[in-house]
Amino acid sequence: MNLEKLFDEYRGLSDAKVRPQEPKVDRFLKAFREILSKENNWAFLLPLKLSLEACTHCGTCAEACPVYVGSGRQKIYSPLYRADLLRKIYKKHFTWSGKLFGRLVGAKEATEQDINALSEAAYRCTICRRCVLACPFGLDNGLIMREARKILAELGIVPDELKEEGVENQINFGSAPKIPYDALINILDFVKSEIEENRKNVNVEIPVDKVGAKYLIINNAGDYLSFLDTIRGIVEIMNYVNEDWTFNSPKTGVFDNVNYGLFYSDKDLLRVIKAHLETFKKLKPEYVVVGECGHSYDVLGHLIKDLIPPEERPFKVIHIVELYDKFLREGRLRLDKDKNPAPVTFHDSCKIGRCGGIYDEPRRVLAASCKDFREMFPNREYNYCCGGGGGFALMNKYNFPEFRMKTYGRLKMEQVKNTGASTLVTICANCKRQFLDTVSYYNSSINVSGLSEILANSLVY
Amino acid sequence: MYDFTLFIIGVVLPYIMMATFGIALGYNFFKFMFLPRPVMWAIFPAKKNLASIFITIGKRIFSLPGPRKFDKLIFTLAWMFHIGLIVSLSLHAKYIFMPHLPLEYEIGSAAGMFAAIGSFGFLIRRIYDKKTESYFSDYLALGLLIVTLLLGQYIRMFKLIDSIQVWSWIQGIITLNPVLPPADTLFLIHILFAQVYMMYLPFKTLIHPIAIFYGQKIILDQRHIRR
Ligand code: SF4
Ligand code: SF4
Repeated sequence: MNLEKLFDEYRGLSDAKVRPQEPKVDRFLKAFREILSKENNWAFLLPLKLSLEACTHCGTCAEACPVYVGSGRQKIYSPLYRADLLRKIYKKHFTWSGKLFGRLVGAKEATEQDINALSEAAYRCTICRRCVLACPFGLDNGLIMREARKILAELGIVPDELKEEGVENQINFGSAPKIPYDALINILDFVKSEIEENRKNVNVEIPVDKVGAKYLIINNAGDYLSFLDTIRGIVEIMNYVNEDWTFNSPKTGVFDNVNYGLFYSDKDLLRVIKAHLETFKKLKPEYVVVGECGHSYDVLGHLIKDLIPPEERPFKVIHIVELYDKFLREGRLRLDKDKNPAPVTFHDSCKIGRCGGIYDEPRRVLAASCKDFREMFPNREYNYCCGGGGGFALMNKYNFPEFRMKTYGRLKMEQVKNTGASTLVTICANCKRQFLDTVSYYNSSINVSGLSEILANSLVY
Repeated sequence: MYDFTLFIIGVVLPYIMMATFGIALGYNFFKFMFLPRPVMWAIFPAKKNLASIFITIGKRIFSLPGPRKFDKLIFTLAWMFHIGLIVSLSLHAKYIFMPHLPLEYEIGSAAGMFAAIGSFGFLIRRIYDKKTESYFSDYLALGLLIVTLLLGQYIRMFKLIDSIQVWSWIQGIITLNPVLPPADTLFLIHILFAQVYMMYLPFKTLIHPIAIFYGQKIILDQRHIRR
């Protein structure tokens, strides 16, 4: 690797992406001006301007930020420092006080170096939004970094993992990892035979692309490749309750629930939402069930309701943990806790908890299916991000994984270890991916698991 | 010449200050009111209706849950400063109605002390705590505040000013029949700095109440939960 240092000693984006030698200031300012207009920033203009203008630079948010704390409290990783990279430029170019008084009020002319540094700095924040809880005003430094990514994306500065290998693959091939139809069916056949082998006398059906099913379960496609146990768990539970359900495949469009546009662009966010809607239109489910994934629940469960008129989404959206919780409350799951005797802890994914409002459902399911469920501390809205948020779990190039492990990863690992649990459960595929990397980096024996397989394991036949 | 200075600082400036502060407050309030926010991006647990949002904002202003959890030092300083300031300002506001209040001297002195310690703490924290970012504008604001608070405290503790005089000065301003303020140099500096601070604040950063109102409302607005 021979990448120029732009911000710190890490790089998540290549020189070919950032093009450090190329003049970018004018285009950057043009894109910045655009996201400050009502026409172009139809999503987040109010909180963005508020967060840019109201900050008193008190630094209270720093202690809430896992990057800052995990890095050994290095100033460059404080939310304030990172957000100020953009805030200074905003002040200088878009406020009259900044234009008049410049550095006296913390305003600074944008330079090529600043933009290069910002390109990397924007990918040092997982947009976990924990810092919002610390700010007395409720300002959102995570949002500022998300909007910085948006400006940079207009200059073509986006990690390939999110754009080319994420959004574009998903729209063109139905899933980010480009799983072809035949491969998907083979995987599902394998899952079926495995369950039938383990659970004698059980007949397993895995409906695919069934039109008009009550529940369309759309998974993070990464689960089909890396977390097959989760898929197995889902299939087993849906068969157990004998529900009318289906998965879908590339034949009906997008079968990957992810939407990496959320992390860098409103335009791409909307492109993926529209591709999802096309798919759902073909399948006509009553419920779209978001499989174990966090950010896709943020998009399909929440943002879609702000961005798409109701007549274009004639279905309800729930997270799969809500469905399990419903089955549990209806008494349709007979469970034996003794089948999961090991101590288990639960990680609240940022997009499901802090941004999604789902805290109690997974706890009820775990309490019912595990003998020894332990909380980690802090938890719920105060939980630390796993470190895979904001697209980080996918960013494995250059020395970026080292950044993930040494900051967020270190802090998270300590938090998990303190519970004494031997199994860590989470309901987000990106969190699972990050945890697998963290566990292997720190040579830990902790078992990383989805919730579906834990619940399925406790079923009594 | 001294009378002219008294006239400018005690008669003209209060109206300029009130107009500047009021216009800036109104401008920013309405500016943010009309900015679009089609996307709700709450932090859970959020609130389901406007009444509980406002109650929670009110509670958060006083309980400062974020600083309390994450930064005990700033929580203590902010609490001392704001309580001190609110009590102090209330004692100033009483001049609208009356010249004296029982225990005013004791309560006012304690409040002034609280506010001064809080703002000194802020200053020291800004200088030494690497988590903060500070520019000249931040130090200027704190400088104005500290000088104002210390002078106010000094004037109150040593009873340099006759409160009947202050009362009639404030009554004059309110009833649009202004009279000259008490002719004391320290008092003059005190009210000058206080007014410059009030005019400067909206231009330094967004005024706190507006920031808190919109910022907290954004994160408290319930998203689309079916329950
Ligand atoms: S959103 Fe998360 S990572 Fe980003 S600054 Fe805030 S706490 Fe840190
Ligand atoms: S806590 Fe809020 S006001 Fe203070 S530095 Fe952080 S964002 Fe700015």
